[in-house]
Amino acid sequence: MKKDGISRGKDMKRSVLLTVNGERHEVFIGPNLTLLELLREELNLKGAKEACGIGACGACTVLMDGKPVNACIVLALEAEGKEIETIEGLAKGNELHPLQRSFIDHYSFQCGFCTPGTIMTAKAFLHRNPEPSRDEVKNGIAGNICRCTGYENIVDGILNAAKEM
Amino acid sequence: MSEFRYVTKGINRTDGELIVTGRARYTADIELPGMLVAKILRSPYPHAKIKGINTDKAKGLEGVKAVITGADIGYRRFSFIDTPAFPADQTPLAVDKVRFAGEEVAAVAAINQVIAAKALDLIEVEYEELPSVFDPEEAMKEGAPAVHEIIEPNTTTAWEDFGVPPSKARPYKTVNNISNKALIEYGDIEKGFEEAEHIREDRFEIPSTSHMAMEPHVAVANYLPTGKLDVWLTHMGYEHKRFWLAKLLDIPISRVRVHKTYVGGAFGGKISIFPFEFIAAYLSMITLRPVKITLPREEVFAGCPPSRRMIVYLKTGVKKDGRITAQQVKVIDDVGAYRRSSPTALYLAHVFRNPIYNIPNLKHEGYGAYTNKLYTTAKRGHGLPQMVFAVEAQLDMICDELGLDKVEMRLKNFRKKGDTLPNGDKLRSYGLPECLKEAAEKIGWKEKYGKEKFRGLGIGTASMFSGAHNFPFSSAAMIRLNHDGRMILFTGQTEFGNGVDTVMAQIAAEVLNCPLDYIVVNSGDSEVSPQDVGNWLSGGIFVSGEAVRRAALDLRDQMLKHAAAGLDIPVEDLDMKDGWIMPVSDGSKKLSFSDMSRYGIQMAGGDPLIGKGYVKCVPEVHFWKGKYNKTASLSTGRGRFTEAYGLTLAIAHVEVNPETGEVSILEIVVADDCGTPINVKSVEGQIMSQAVMGIGDVFYEEVRINNGIVMNPNLLDYRVPTANDIPKITSILVDSYEPNGPFGAKEVGESPRAAVISAISNAICNAIGERIYDLPMTSDRIKRALRSKRA
Repeated sequence: MKKDGISRGKDMKRSVLLTVNGERHEVFIGPNLTLLELLREELNLKGAKEACGIGACGACTVLMDGKPVNACIVLALEAEGKEIETIEGLAKGNELHPLQRSFIDHYSFQCGFCTPGTIMTAKAFLHRNPEPSRDEVKNGIAGNICRCTGYENIVDGILNAAKEM
Repeated sequence: MSEFRYVTKGINRTDGELIVTGRARYTADIELPGMLVAKILRSPYPHAKIKGINTDKAKGLEGVKAVITGADIGYRRFSFIDTPAFPADQTPLAVDKVRFAGEEVAAVAAINQVIAAKALDLIEVEYEELPSVFDPEEAMKEGAPAVHEIIEPNTTTAWEDFGVPPSKARPYKTVNNISNKALIEYGDIEKGFEEAEHIREDRFEIPSTSHMAMEPHVAVANYLPTGKLDVWLTHMGYEHKRFWLAKLLDIPISRVRVHKTYVGGAFGGKISIFPFEFIAAYLSMITLRPVKITLPREEVFAGCPPSRRMIVYLKTGVKKDGRITAQQVKVIDDVGAYRRSSPTALYLAHVFRNPIYNIPNLKHEGYGAYTNKLYTTAKRGHGLPQMVFAVEAQLDMICDELGLDKVEMRLKNFRKKGDTLPNGDKLRSYGLPECLKEAAEKIGWKEKYGKEKFRGLGIGTASMFSGAHNFPFSSAAMIRLNHDGRMILFTGQTEFGNGVDTVMAQIAAEVLNCPLDYIVVNSGDSEVSPQDVGNWLSGGIFVSGEAVRRAALDLRDQMLKHAAAGLDIPVEDLDMKDGWIMPVSDGSKKLSFSDMSRYGIQMAGGDPLIGKGYVKCVPEVHFWKGKYNKTASLSTGRGRFTEAYGLTLAIAHVEVNPETGEVSILEIVVADDCGTPINVKSVEGQIMSQAVMGIGDVFYEEVRINNGIVMNPNLLDYRVPTANDIPKITSILVDSYEPNGPFGAKEVGESPRAAVISAISNAICNAIGERIYDLPMTSDRIKRALRSKRA
């Protein structure tokens, strides 16, 4: 490849259709782009965060066809034709999702950097397990690292939201 | 004490909706038109001369807008602590040599990440490797490779810029790689040991751990053609950052604006100026375009300073009844390649723990040792966790040897409320004895201690300042009344998880007795707020919160004065409630806050009604034009340090599996004296946070460096606690009141961590009947200790 930084050949970009938070998007992207980069840079959805870059912390968790994925290690092309849900799509207009409401009421965040990823993980978890025990919740969010809260308040927030979901 | 409306209540975060909807804006989220991306080239060698750097190919790559090396900006020096005795020793890019693997050597600004990365590969650096030294005690021996030689200040030092007396900058001749020293003494140490009836000497070693704040370090800089610099940073207080950016770039401080952003956790790792921040600003200045540098997690682990590596030699003498007669400390701070905050840390290792035990004869020696490794910095407690780990471990061993009760022995040696410390600080509030008694009762110390095999109980203590006389030495706040009768509060406080907007609003609303949502908080913008000590001196509540309280009182007084004139009723007869001012006797003659705004404008010559409040960290300390009073000396420990100390006592109950060395924590009880908790949920959050962080420190966390290379610079190899690692943790807030704090409040954000680390460590050693002198206490280390006990 010529040393001028311009994509050619195998780095060729192409058009991709995907649905994010119920909205259809057509994006023009290369094969190396991650889903996280697509969301944050192409679609300006900054909620999902990069905290480790290797899928080890959960801060980039979004839902892909209802399943939680670490967007930083998912290629954007894998999202083609799929439904992606991010934190930005949770609230319905002015009305917060029960998880969002419950996180506020239970002091389930401090710096908030892990919060979007944790809430998305929790949403998918409660869909699979609507009446979990405390230990089941802890296990369910074991892939979401939080350095601020010490986790107990997050578990409280999720258990309480479960009652309303 | 009267019932509060907001203070002590667990009010929900007023900015919670922003966080849970993903709308809170962090620096990593900032995008500006025309923004360039910058990346840094780092040294692969721990110690090497730079023979030459060729940037031609990199500069020629299409899309690259600037390439810089030490030749461009290396003349500028900076450090966390820069004093005439210890002048700054670090440059933003290496100049003649690199001193640690990971040191910044060159930087590129390009139109995107891919091109910037390609450009780094095209920079050619010729290194000549030099012999390295990695062990601090080896480094201090005669003949060890010299990390630094003579450090020649080429500007005034920061201390001089701040006006701290009395000396001028002088060259620092590094001898035996000693970066700085401290010697704090009082009483008569020889006599103290002669009086002792039992003496122990031990050596402890504590490694670096990473802060592992969820948000990686990132900076956005935008230098405008008007000569103003806008920056968005990850930080714990803008004053320090702004000062250094201004100094390094030769811009007036008032022309550097640090914008408000949410910060994704800090824990001490984001305080002082970093090379990448200055590089972003400089690149923006020369390209006249916004520049963003985002450090990937690997660069944060391997290029940004973790917590201090310390070796503690401890010798303590006691009477047979457990009373301490003498204590001698030698701390070796394995500084790494650059001194950073070592002068402070050696001092803090003493003054932070000074309030805990009454030690009549003490000698505290500290040495910073340069080594060819990643340099270190403060982490939640800055030297206290390391010291307390050693002191509490040794006290437990002394109790075991003399058959003393571990709770009673500590109660015997604790200081008392009302005591004056040797440096003049007064303990006006002191709940540590209550913390111990209540924690011991809660965990069932008497019933459980020594009763079950392979189970153990351990105690840990901590004390922490509430602000200190460090730049900018004071906090101020303003609160202005709007036409709608509501207020805007201006405070320089930084948000990194401490919930500042909520807590400051609670304080103001408490004073003004109005609904909480009457207060809009504008925080963390350096151009908008008056001076603020930030949140890294543990003075957020005690200093800045008190400034807010005084500002609200000032506005209240101004409004009452105008209301008195407007109603023709004396001020003393007026009451303020829910946005109304009315005479106590006649509720019908009321004026709204909105009326007061109108009154000020119409009837008082246009008065905008702005309340102002300010607090010095240590009112007694001052310096001005050569005159000064009781300023603290980092190297001798003399002089006033702080006005109030937060205190914590933790007890842990653990069970050890002797076959596997695995530990299960049965319970941790953390009892804390933070005076009055302004927001009880927030305070409990701080305690919980530190308990879990302490679990990480004891079991998993260590920045492993081998031959100068960080071996575990990612989240798979560096383990932090997850939700599955949480035991039963109970927090107790003891009844206490700090007279000089806002509504009686003082520090809580840093002291529990040290107490929990030593509580768990002591519990493990109690369970296995053997002492482990270092951290982390992995299952391997525990098994080894058990084997040595059997031998």
